[in-house]
Amino acid sequence: MLLNSVDIDMQNPFWLNIFKVETLKEWFAYSTTEPWFFTEFSFLAVFGIFLMIYSLLAKANTWRKIYIILFSIFFYYKSSGPFLGLFVLMIVSDYLFALAIHNKQGLTKKILLWLSLSYSLSFLLYFKYANFFIQNFNQLLDTSFTEHDLFLPIGISFYTFQSISYLVDVYKKEIPPTKNIIDYAFYMTFFPHLVAGPIVRAKDFLPQIVYPQIINASLYKESILRIIIGLLKKLFIADYLAKYVDIIHQTPSGFSGGENLLSMYAYSFQIYFDFSGYSDIAIGIALLLGYRLKENFENPYTATNITEFWRKWHISLSNWLRDYVYIPLGGNRKGVFNTYLFLLVTMLVGGFWHGADWRFVFWGFAHGLALIFHKVWKQFFPHATKKWYAQAFSVLLTFHFVGFCWIFFRASSFNSAFTSIQQILFNTQWQDFIGFWYSRPEICYVLLIAFFILFIPVKIKELIFSKIQLLPTITWILWVMIALQIIIQFKDEVVQPFIYFQF
Amino acid sequence: MISPSNEHPDYKDSVQKPSRFFILLAGFSFAVPTLLLYLYSYQTQVFEICGIEIRKIENQEETIDEIFSEFEPSNKSLATNTQLSKKIDDTLTRTNNTVLAFSDTTNQLTTRAFQNYEISDTTKHRVMIIGDSECGGLCFPLNDYCIENGHKLVLSFVWNSATIFNFAHSDTITRVIQKYKPSYVFLVLGLNELYAKDLKRRKQAADLLAKKMNGIPYAWIGPANYMEDFGINKVFESAADSGSYFLTDGLQLPRGSDGRHPSNQGYRIWMDSIASWMHLSSKYKIALKRPVKRNYTFKSQIMTLHAAKFRGY
Repeated sequence: MLLNSVDIDMQNPFWLNIFKVETLKEWFAYSTTEPWFFTEFSFLAVFGIFLMIYSLLAKANTWRKIYIILFSIFFYYKSSGPFLGLFVLMIVSDYLFALAIHNKQGLTKKILLWLSLSYSLSFLLYFKYANFFIQNFNQLLDTSFTEHDLFLPIGISFYTFQSISYLVDVYKKEIPPTKNIIDYAFYMTFFPHLVAGPIVRAKDFLPQIVYPQIINASLYKESILRIIIGLLKKLFIADYLAKYVDIIHQTPSGFSGGENLLSMYAYSFQIYFDFSGYSDIAIGIALLLGYRLKENFENPYTATNITEFWRKWHISLSNWLRDYVYIPLGGNRKGVFNTYLFLLVTMLVGGFWHGADWRFVFWGFAHGLALIFHKVWKQFFPHATKKWYAQAFSVLLTFHFVGFCWIFFRASSFNSAFTSIQQILFNTQWQDFIGFWYSRPEICYVLLIAFFILFIPVKIKELIFSKIQLLPTITWILWVMIALQIIIQFKDEVVQPFIYFQF
Repeated sequence: MISPSNEHPDYKDSVQKPSRFFILLAGFSFAVPTLLLYLYSYQTQVFEICGIEIRKIENQEETIDEIFSEFEPSNKSLATNTQLSKKIDDTLTRTNNTVLAFSDTTNQLTTRAFQNYEISDTTKHRVMIIGDSECGGLCFPLNDYCIENGHKLVLSFVWNSATIFNFAHSDTITRVIQKYKPSYVFLVLGLNELYAKDLKRRKQAADLLAKKMNGIPYAWIGPANYMEDFGINKVFESAADSGSYFLTDGLQLPRGSDGRHPSNQGYRIWMDSIASWMHLSSKYKIALKRPVKRNYTFKSQIMTLHAAKFRGY
């Protein structure tokens, strides 16, 4: 039988559940432990209804901005609750600081800039790093200061960096301050990038607020496709790999070297598909609303060296670090040694930004050293060979270095990371891989699919996407329906939080 | 992402013009499919296409809750444990020599002295122990118990890295039972699925395994947790006959060098706890008086498989 329905309950009509008071209360309650993800089907349903109303307001710029701000605030409230107040406070103070900076000159202007930056950073420093400093202070001086019971407001690392970029750009007169607080609030709260980036720069985004776009047929299709691809990346690949990675990193000593090595590959793929999946969804959603966010990834694992990797990985963060840390420190203008030093400092800041833990600092340090090494290498060998095998070797080498560093990023502690590396180096046998193939076939398939997707030539991907976009516009509701059901059908039962939510 | 060819009829200039219609269409593109999927998920009706069940939008928390709500014995197990603790305490007032490690309801380790309990059933059994790698450790202290109590340990069936699926979805267990004809079986598994969250599937498999015991009395020994599980213990407990599941979680056992499996001493303490539980509250009791001598020569046959090489199904 093609279609078979069973077990019809006529006593309890399903639709009655939707109108229960408890269900409605749940909709308007916030949960700091279970943020409202883009991957939640409830989000997609609400977003669809939100878009329908938005289509009525799209031509009235002020109303459409207010409407999006209100939705963004609700979106943030769902995951952060009372910390919304903190966020609003930061928006208002940044807006006022920027106006003051713009109107002053000389030393006063500089003092205002430092004051505003310190103010913005103080929230991040307190919520994210206070306990880290207390722990280290206690260990170093054998004191016993009590750690604070702190919750890290979601997205604080991202919106603090946005706030800094705005204040600095206004100070440097690269952009004028927004006269209208609604515009600034819109830039800061815009929900697609609010909680996990991409880090949007004011000079790229504010002009779009003044002259907003309305989508056409091809943008409609591109947006929908981006969102579906993002969901697939996250729910099909990243979440399955996460299961395996979690098991190994629980007790790396209990698993063979081969299994630890494969968990290194699995995590490398997981973090890429997780974060680039999130970025795809964010870009797709923003595009539907008529705003274009910059790309955050460009096939980073095909990079032939570490410098190229950082041009392709988390691009919005790399650019931010370059423009607001590396260049202000002196960039390459103060001699070779200082250039290397600034590079290292920049990557240490980048590492520390990811989390208040020495593992992240070490991760940044390792990448900083690798960037320096590559710069030195280029001095001696300025003309890299273009032969395919040399390129392939470079890609493999870069990928393995990055993967090696991810071990420190993912492990629960330094000890755990070193155990995993020790297992990889001294306890790896060919049999491990054969055993892995038989015992975890689903992970093998996902790894192979991930590998295939990552290294498939960009031209082929573009060709496939362009063919898909030829499907008639009016049929896309059906395709979305099928895609969502396929996702439900095959996704893992447990949807993992986006990795970058915690940063 | 590149734009599609303009030659296609769908991309005439009029269609390419920006229009609020596309925002509305986008709204429908998400709202209609998700609302339909939600409506389907809220009703009890289940559709199948070509024999494949069309899954619903599920919340994992609810899934676990559903399984637990189906599994009322979860509370019973606490009650059983409470009774067991009381029994142990009562016994302690009479005797105090041997070491028994057992967790009480608050999961606190209770190290108790325990000895001289009466053995009511003196039947000599053909004992078989089946399980994952932990079975390979537990079979040695069990061997001591069997020899001291006159049982015959006919087979230690060790399926390394195996999960409930290997045992349930293969006919391996049925075949070894047919061949060795045990009158009592110890099932020891779960260590490889402490992380498991797909509890519904595992519940089905566990039920299947329980059926495969086909009336043979058994003791289902839960895994010696090295991490907090996501509900696998409760799933196994719900599948096992009432009173035949031994919850190992909470026992503080010395671990081996890998940090996961118990050490030799750990296995011995574990077996002592099982023996005490067996006498006091298990549904299917056999004589397991604590052996005076340890490390008897192991004469039982050991059959070893590895799930990585032989999945069984």
